Amino acid sequence: MPSNHPAAATERSPSVPVAIDGIVPRHLIAPADAQAVADTLVTAASEGRAVAPVGGGTALGLGNVPQRLDVALSTVNLAGVFEYEPTDLVISVGAGIRFGDLQAILAEHGQTLPVETPHPSHATVGGLLATALSGPRRLGSGTLRDLLIGISVAHPSGTVTKSGGMVVKNVTGFDLPRIYHGSLGTLGVIVSANFKVLPLPRSEATVIAPYTSAEAALDSASRVYRSALQPVALEVGRIDEEWLVAARLEGREQSVRVAAQEVETLLGGHVERFTDQESARWWETYLAPQGIHMGGDRSDVLIRCAVRPRETARLVAAFSQVAGERGFAISYLACSVGLGTVVVRGSFFEGGTRDALQGLQERLLAVADHVTILHAPPDWKQGLDIWGRPPETLDVMRALKEQFDPQRVLNPGRFAGGI
Amino acid sequence: MDHATLVDRLERILGPGGVFHRPGDLLVYEYDGSVDGAVDTARPAAVALPTTTEQVAAIVELANEAGLPVVARGAGTGLSGGAVAQRGGIIVSLTRMDRILEVDREDRTALVEPGVINLELSETTLPEGFFFAPDPSSQKACTVGGNVAENSGGPHCLKYGVTTNHVLGLEVVLPDGRMVWTGGRASGGAGYDLTAAMVGSEGMLGIVTKALVRLTPQPESIVVLLAAFGDMDAASHAVSRIIAAGIVPAALEMMDALTIEAVEPAYHAGYPMDAGAVLLIELDGPAEDVRETTDEVSTICRQTAATEVRMASERAERDLLWKGRKMALAAMGRLAPNYYLHDTVVPRSKLPATLRRVGEVSKEYDLPIANVFHAGDGNLHPLMLFDRRQKGSVERVLEASHDLLHYCVEVGGALSGEHGIGTEKRDYMTLVFTADDLAAMAGVKNSFDPRGCFNPEKLFPKGYMCGEVRALRAQAMAQKLGIYAL
Repeated sequence: MPSNHPAAATERSPSVPVAIDGIVPRHLIAPADAQAVADTLVTAASEGRAVAPVGGGTALGLGNVPQRLDVALSTVNLAGVFEYEPTDLVISVGAGIRFGDLQAILAEHGQTLPVETPHPSHATVGGLLATALSGPRRLGSGTLRDLLIGISVAHPSGTVTKSGGMVVKNVTGFDLPRIYHGSLGTLGVIVSANFKVLPLPRSEATVIAPYTSAEAALDSASRVYRSALQPVALEVGRIDEEWLVAARLEGREQSVRVAAQEVETLLGGHVERFTDQESARWWETYLAPQGIHMGGDRSDVLIRCAVRPRETARLVAAFSQVAGERGFAISYLACSVGLGTVVVRGSFFEGGTRDALQGLQERLLAVADHVTILHAPPDWKQGLDIWGRPPETLDVMRALKEQFDPQRVLNPGRFAGGI
Repeated sequence: MDHATLVDRLERILGPGGVFHRPGDLLVYEYDGSVDGAVDTARPAAVALPTTTEQVAAIVELANEAGLPVVARGAGTGLSGGAVAQRGGIIVSLTRMDRILEVDREDRTALVEPGVINLELSETTLPEGFFFAPDPSSQKACTVGGNVAENSGGPHCLKYGVTTNHVLGLEVVLPDGRMVWTGGRASGGAGYDLTAAMVGSEGMLGIVTKALVRLTPQPESIVVLLAAFGDMDAASHAVSRIIAAGIVPAALEMMDALTIEAVEPAYHAGYPMDAGAVLLIELDGPAEDVRETTDEVSTICRQTAATEVRMASERAERDLLWKGRKMALAAMGRLAPNYYLHDTVVPRSKLPATLRRVGEVSKEYDLPIANVFHAGDGNLHPLMLFDRRQKGSVERVLEASHDLLHYCVEVGGALSGEHGIGTEKRDYMTLVFTADDLAAMAGVKNSFDPRGCFNPEKLFPKGYMCGEVRALRAQAMAQKLGIYAL
């Protein structure tokens, strides 16, 4: 990069050490504003360099091993709150704002974005949008996709474009915000986003019950799922050798209390109940092992599988069986009842190899509709599509990539099907 | 391909009963629900009525061979000209693909063909304890396929979200005639969210032949409050107070005096005839929650000078209150022979000022304007009443609309909240979007439909898609790179 480039006028240096699958980019740039992001992309395109957008660095391991990587583009300087009108229940923020900071601002006005991430104090809004990872609360409140009402994106053509707006209902043009959601920065760099926000629930409670087997836990959870109660999260979890069911309830104090009692009756046995702050903290702890960059053992593997919700119990059983066959020790399993997803952390008994990982992925693809390797040691990911089976619409997706990033400047190779 | 050959080839795909081609049969397909004058009408070469996905694919292939545009159409209730075949060609009417293929309680989904009527889906699933949340006012007639194409809303999307929040997967016939699935029953599929791209794409990217939609569990308790106010300002104030109290009603609708004047004598919904405005506030959830929230909302309404607050909890009472709201458009015939229904959105806090502006426009253009709208979302529906037979009346309506649209955009609003752009508002797109913004949308169009054969002349400003998109982008790129001086 030429040193007189506008993007070099860095206001704040990114604090995260950036390496993606062990590859350290030669340049680390933190553009000062949206147009500087676009200018950086144009320069990179003209020099044939590849750019990886970087937010809080909490999910950098997500994706295939980069085909090329020259520039890490940090959104650290795009962290402002541009517009917040509490009475309109909408907010517009820079992509680089930390999710925890955003929630704190909203909480001052009794509002919230009802989604979760394992690293709220580091993860950025831009990163959460680009990766589209969600948590247990999806059952009751959906994902950021459902709350996103507008977006601004910087493109390798040098333009910054907006779509959507600051109103909660809008059909003015194609729904680009939701196309960028989950696109892993391969179509453009998200520079700001607008959300519809919700009032904070007046009270919440979580009911936890322990079980000795997956079957018993799933059976109990399904009783809650089929009842008239509508928990915002309903999980069957395995932490080490223990199974549990956790149900999260929100609403007015009295009705949460009544619902919690009903859940306790349905689950039976020895139950624990947490309320308000304690309840929220319990879920932070529960979600923590789903962090892609957890540190710790480098041979850890994090996998997400999905089936249609009615097949959830079958998936849990099948995963355990496959893990046994493949010598994969499960240290953590989180199953979202009603959503059909299972997130598993574990490691291979024999230390693991690339072939072992590939073998596990292939076997899992036979029992699940979607299998995503969220994290694995970089050398095991070589030549592997961590996104699993390519979708039948891959050609349309490639055409989209061609339209938005014809020179493949952005995250080349890291997305599904090698996009 | 001459007309006779086209008809013959279509009949070979669909049988003789599956093709309309005589001028008299085509007449109704020259229109949709939009206002003649705001939207141009146009005659298709033929209307095809397939019953299977394979037939849809075969029609698309035939259209490609003949070099004809293809326009998908549901019930034709659209209000922005989306289903009118502006460049002729083949209209694919999906009304005969009207089966509910599966309702799955455990997955909480329904798999439906595009011609299923919106209300029918909810009526089918209610006994199972579920409903399909998007509920546009035309729900007795409009189709799920049309809802997907327009990303339809309705009163209950305040709490439950619009169509895109309820579509999990789509079977689509692409412009090259291929059948594909986007999304599906399992979440977290690889790649870009093409389901999101399809919803609200106004038939320009593909034809939906099956939709996998989310069903919402019926809440334990539902209450509808009717609150009457002296004027719309007072009612707007109540709306702000309810939202500020951290309450998200299932629906929050406003009607003004003129609307009540049309509706009440026709449907006897029980709206007070002397009110300046009424709010319909639906609260739902666990019984205990609803009881407390009802008290709180009633108190807020009384504190904000409501002249009357009434509560309906039984289904029949609730339905009656809603009937007036849902039939408001139909009742307008009592006031004037024609109406032009607008659809704009403004930030909620701008509602009172925007309503005042509506009042001013009404006076300036000497046009009665009724307001019946989704107050909780800031989604306005000014209804301009006129008589087409009066010389210059259509022009006056269009000018007044132009003024209103400009105002809404100026205060941070959008061109359309739920009716779509179609041809009605395509030339206003540059009010909210730059050439670069539109180029990004064109990029989506080109990825799906590089030859531009699906529903041409929609959404983009007139003449926009005729090649200049690429030229504009190339020019912008070249300038940025300093490759050559232009």
